[in-house]
Amino acid sequence: MALSTHTTSTGWDSVLKACNKVNEHILGFLLPSIHSAPPFFTQQPNPATEAIVIEQWTKLILSYARHRNLFYLRVEDAETGGDWDEVLRNDRINRRLPPAHLSSILAGMVAKNVASYEPAKQTRSVLLYWRLPEEWAEVLHQWASTTGQMNTIMTFYEITDPPVNSPLTNIPLPLLRKAITILAKSNRAQIIAIADGEGVRFFTPAK
Amino acid sequence: MSLKRFSQAIDGTIPIQALLYDDEDLLGSQDNVGIYDGQQKSPRHQSGTAYITSHRLFYVDGPKPDSCSFSIDLSHVSRTDYYAGLFTSSPKVTVYLAGDVSSESNDEHAPSIWECQVCGNRNSPGFSPSAARICGLCGVPRDASDDPEQGSSATHLSSSLPASGFAGSSVPRSSKDPVPCPACTFLNHPSLRTCELCETDLPRRPSRRELQSAPVSRPHSPDNDEEGDMLIKVSFRKGGDKAIYGALKTSLNGKVWESKAAIVDRGGGNRSVGISGILRTVENSVQERETSMHDALQDLEALMVKAKDMVHLAAELNDKLTAASSTNDEPEEATFIRSSLTQLGLHIDNAPVTQDMTKDERRWHEELARELAKVLQAGLMRDKGIVALDEVWGGWNRARGVALIPPATFLQVIPLLPQYTTPQVSTRKFASGLTVLHTPPYSASAFSARLAGFLVMQGSRTTLEIALEMELDMEESNEAGMSVSLCKEMVEDCEREGGVCRDDVGQCSIVGGGGVGAEVRWWPNLFVGYVWDGEEDG
Repeated sequence: MALSTHTTSTGWDSVLKACNKVNEHILGFLLPSIHSAPPFFTQQPNPATEAIVIEQWTKLILSYARHRNLFYLRVEDAETGGDWDEVLRNDRINRRLPPAHLSSILAGMVAKNVASYEPAKQTRSVLLYWRLPEEWAEVLHQWASTTGQMNTIMTFYEITDPPVNSPLTNIPLPLLRKAITILAKSNRAQIIAIADGEGVRFFTPAK
Repeated sequence: MSLKRFSQAIDGTIPIQALLYDDEDLLGSQDNVGIYDGQQKSPRHQSGTAYITSHRLFYVDGPKPDSCSFSIDLSHVSRTDYYAGLFTSSPKVTVYLAGDVSSESNDEHAPSIWECQVCGNRNSPGFSPSAARICGLCGVPRDASDDPEQGSSATHLSSSLPASGFAGSSVPRSSKDPVPCPACTFLNHPSLRTCELCETDLPRRPSRRELQSAPVSRPHSPDNDEEGDMLIKVSFRKGGDKAIYGALKTSLNGKVWESKAAIVDRGGGNRSVGISGILRTVENSVQERETSMHDALQDLEALMVKAKDMVHLAAELNDKLTAASSTNDEPEEATFIRSSLTQLGLHIDNAPVTQDMTKDERRWHEELARELAKVLQAGLMRDKGIVALDEVWGGWNRARGVALIPPATFLQVIPLLPQYTTPQVSTRKFASGLTVLHTPPYSASAFSARLAGFLVMQGSRTTLEIALEMELDMEESNEAGMSVSLCKEMVEDCEREGGVCRDDVGQCSIVGGGGVGAEVRWWPNLFVGYVWDGEEDG
């Protein structure tokens, strides 16, 4: 492919940059040049090298999740086809991320608090925080006030599936609950139990 | 007649080896034989194969192996005779049989696994009848320990009963002889019903088993009314008689079925019975082991002497070559011989340095280091810049010939090497424990720099390819290549330092690929200093 023919007298960095220009944009998502390097997919025994690899993977995964509005990542996604195929595999260089490596990357993300195991007490599936719960709380409150739904009781369903698309569409319920809890601490929201399910009411903070 | 009496029918379709007891050996076989029962031909056994084993004589019929085959215990044989044939009459071996046989006694004790009451050892059923009577581990006879068949049929001729405590008289049974009491061994008058001393009931016809001490004695069988000898002849239609006769004689002389009894009965100390028996066997095996080890070590010493000779020979050869070629140019063969001698490490210029030559140990080490440096430069490291420690040690000792250096001293000498060698030879130890001596081009830093450069130039490579293609020095491209395992060690060391990173093709490829680590390609470390150039957060 493009990689091997450029090698004669140039250094490695310039090769990568050249490839970057060639990279296709997938759904408008720009993959980093490191994604075209086969060693990126192998778990490195050298701890320092592996730390860098995990860092780059974390960035890539969160960035892609933000782009596609995906919230969950499972170890099984490395094997079977799904939403994550464009990132976890690179068919042009015939490489994929083995599940073991993905598992250790997930562990690294949870340790850095950019993801959490969801449901709890297992290590195969995580909920990604490409936006931190605090940030989600702000977005939620902002949305509630701009759509003029302050002081009214709203069901969770109305938040996750509004008639008009909002940044909160399809937010998973655990994350929503976390955000609301954060708002509750600053007295800007209140959880209310209603007939079937839960509801929430937003307040403007007392000035 | 005699055939029917002494033989046991066997199933001849089973191969002969399967019919033998565990301790029985096959000594010979001959086909095309016929059997004579007494003086007449036995009609059913005229065309078959005869087998002689250490315990028995087998006849396996040709046309009807399953119904016309039999075996005869050699313990029944009183004597044998040989008749070399004349004209139309074929050679014959005559076997005279005698003794009391009762057909079921053979199967008394043999059929199943039995557990010795004394030591608990489970004995397998494969042994010959005599061997089956005593426990394999402790030697205690079965009858003395447990006897489920007490009082069964009359004794088998070859019963190897040991002295079981009863003062056995080997006196044949008759109504005139004193009867030993089973409890107190007092010899009572034969007409008494109870023992005089202890009043236990005297057996009317006491079972012979308990009274015999000598194994080969023949108790009178009161039912024996056959006159004369009973005999069987084996006629050899196609020869082979001498061999079979010889085997038969050997077997009879061996009398393996009695040997167990003989061992047990010898003198006072029961050799193979009980704890002392076991201890004795253990002692014997230890003794055997020691002797064999001693012999082996003697061989080793002989080998060392030979090695010394070889070193002298090599030295002489070298001198002769020098003398012969001092006038004209050295012929090619001489050069070749010399170089191979030095490469093998067989030749050193001076006599080896021994401890008695120098008093001070430190100075001795230095002298050794100097000598080793010469050896390395002359042969061992001339072509390769890196060599494993065991090779060096072996080569150096070979060159010394006598007064070999033990590994401990060798390890002490190595740190002194860099002072005496040019280019400097230093030691390097890899993570797997492999230690090597190497010249500066192979030091960790130099190698990793070369490796990184090589990979940048050539792209990714597997370990094998690196071993084959990477050159020694950047300037002079002399022989490329080093051994693959050594290369692997060095590359992995480089990875540990962070110089290269790996690409596990086996595990990560989508199409094809083996397992983890099946094929690993090496890249220069792309991750260090990498700057993110993907999608920026909007």
